Amino acid sequence: MYNIIVCFKQILDIDQMKIDEKTQEPITKNLPYRLEDLSKNAIEEAVRIKEKHGGKVIGITFGGEQATLAMKEALAMGVDEGIILKGYKENNPELTSEVLAKKISTLKYDIVIMGNASADSYTGLVPGKVARKLNIPILGNAIKLELQENVARITRSMEDVNYIVESKLPALITVEQEINEPRLPPLIQIMAAGRKPMKVEEIQVNVQSSKRVIYNKAPKSDRKRIIFEDIDKGVEEVTRFLRSEAK
Amino acid sequence: MNAMIFSEKGELAAQIATMFRGKYDFDIYTTSDFPLDSYGARNVFKLTGPSIYADNISEFLARIFREKNYDFIAIGSSVMGREVSSLLSEILHLEAITEIMKLELNGEYFVTERFFYGGKTVIREESRARIFTFLPGLVDPMPVDTKSTISQLEVDIPSNVKIVNRIEKPKGSVNLEKAEIIVSAGRGIGKKEGLGIIQQLADILHGEVGGSRPVCLDYHWLSEERQVGLSGKRVKPKIYIAVGISGQVQHIAGMRGSKTVIAINKDKNAPIFNECDYGIVGDLYTVLPRLIENLKK
Ligand SMILES: Cc1cc2nc3c(=O)[nH]c(=O)nc-3n(C[C@H](O)[C@H](O)[C@H](O)COP(=O)(O)OP(=O)(O)OC[C@H]3O[C@@H](n4cnc5c(N)ncnc54)[C@H](O)[C@@H]3O)c2cc1C
Ligand SMILES: Nc1ncnc2c1ncn2[C@@H]1O[C@H](COP(=O)(O)O)[C@@H](O)[C@H]1O
Repeated sequence: MYNIIVCFKQILDIDQMKIDEKTQEPITKNLPYRLEDLSKNAIEEAVRIKEKHGGKVIGITFGGEQATLAMKEALAMGVDEGIILKGYKENNPELTSEVLAKKISTLKYDIVIMGNASADSYTGLVPGKVARKLNIPILGNAIKLELQENVARITRSMEDVNYIVESKLPALITVEQEINEPRLPPLIQIMAAGRKPMKVEEIQVNVQSSKRVIYNKAPKSDRKRIIFEDIDKGVEEVTRFLRSEAK
Repeated sequence: MNAMIFSEKGELAAQIATMFRGKYDFDIYTTSDFPLDSYGARNVFKLTGPSIYADNISEFLARIFREKNYDFIAIGSSVMGREVSSLLSEILHLEAITEIMKLELNGEYFVTERFFYGGKTVIREESRARIFTFLPGLVDPMPVDTKSTISQLEVDIPSNVKIVNRIEKPKGSVNLEKAEIIVSAGRGIGKKEGLGIIQQLADILHGEVGGSRPVCLDYHWLSEERQVGLSGKRVKPKIYIAVGISGQVQHIAGMRGSKTVIAINKDKNAPIFNECDYGIVGDLYTVLPRLIENLKK
């Protein structure tokens, strides 16, 4: 039996994001939100631990107005209880880690699970900062996780080598995409998710960042975009190009 | 300004040193055996110890950072490097910015550039951050004539994590960053055998084979060192041919530096067609044999 906490993040759907041709800035208006990619793997792993060893999964997200949506999806995937912390504004690892650590420290936990880096900002700072604030070991970049008694053992995937590493619980574990295939909850579970306990709390933490955005723009793309739907024509043109350029 | 450079990968430390030379004074800290004595550092410290992990090395570096009064820390961006940056940020109460590709000093502020929105945009920020991780491959390491002093430092702080085993990943010798022509395979090839035809095209063009993340990491059809993208290699060939790759932002982030991009995909709405110079809408198993046949003539 383990008390498991999973932290997940909701992000703008970056795959649907368009760029304003004039300003080169991303158009975020009316863009839907979705659960962040590795956060999904984190949820899946948390639920699998519970299914294998028993226990309870608490899901925490620090988000904005739309956070309920993300929470419902997590609950449908098998999270037992949800805590929505409201007040997220922008990418600020200082604030996010403080908010999450503060909340987690009021709860009972053996394992905290997070994604290794978020798909939109790709900073990867939150897990380490939370682990340090909670004063627990961090086992990072897991592509495999095993629990035995009071010890977590992971396969840690590095650039050119894997390590098997372990530590005593409580510990914070970050997961990589390869660790699992997140489930798609059936409709009946999404409906049932509405009945699971979900708390919403306004956050009382104020941590400023010294960061100021000068710009956030798409790099200029001068691609020609000559697209052939006629395969014969396309093959002919591309052959000609490759003949002249690929020497 | 006085910088502490850390990377467990010697090559990354050498790259950062090459960028810093003439701008900042710096010492290099590393666990690597890569020869770092000729990259312009005042001192190179080889960190040793029985069990070096992210937590104890961070404690150790933090202690030295304070003792030696460095102004900022530059770290090679890797799994270990990013983790160390997050821990150092907490221990030293300094903001960190990870995965940067540019660093400029502006008075008390540092101006940084990094990818955002999964690689769709570049964000330029100024901040009082003092810890940075640098993307690999920003410059080629360039040695100088002067030699740095080299000494050893023992990491005398225990880790809370036990290293049980080390498992080497299969390694080739491909250097995608330097390749002039890359033919990359995506999930669209459908099966490992599909790589045969990708390799054929690459051979005719004297190019290298690369791949998207699913092909390299999820299915292991290609080795990880061939992964192109945000979390893989950033390549800048003359010609990049994306075959059966949808063109998600994280992939684009790795191949945006290519001079000419050719895409082959059966879905005409695939985002890759917005990021290519020439695109052929069609089944790769129809298109590639014809292309190869034509090129052979
Ligand atoms: C934090 C993070 C980091 C990431 N880093 C990277 C990275 O470094 N590199 C990377 O690549 N991805 C990365 N990803 C994953 C990325 O988001 C995408 O999932 C991935 O790039 C998709 O790979 P793909 O295009 O091969 O597969 P898919 O998206 O599944 O696309 C397959 C394509 O093949 C086409 N196709 C299918 N059959 C055929 C056929 N017979 N002929 C022609 N076309 C066909 C389909 O139309 C489709 O467009 C990252 C994700 C996250 C969250
Ligand atoms: N706002 C948030 N709420 C909950 N968890 C978060 C939040 N931001 C980041 N995380 C967690 O931290 C991981 C890494 O994010 P980051 O450090 O932002 O790259 C994510 O995959 C989440 O598990």
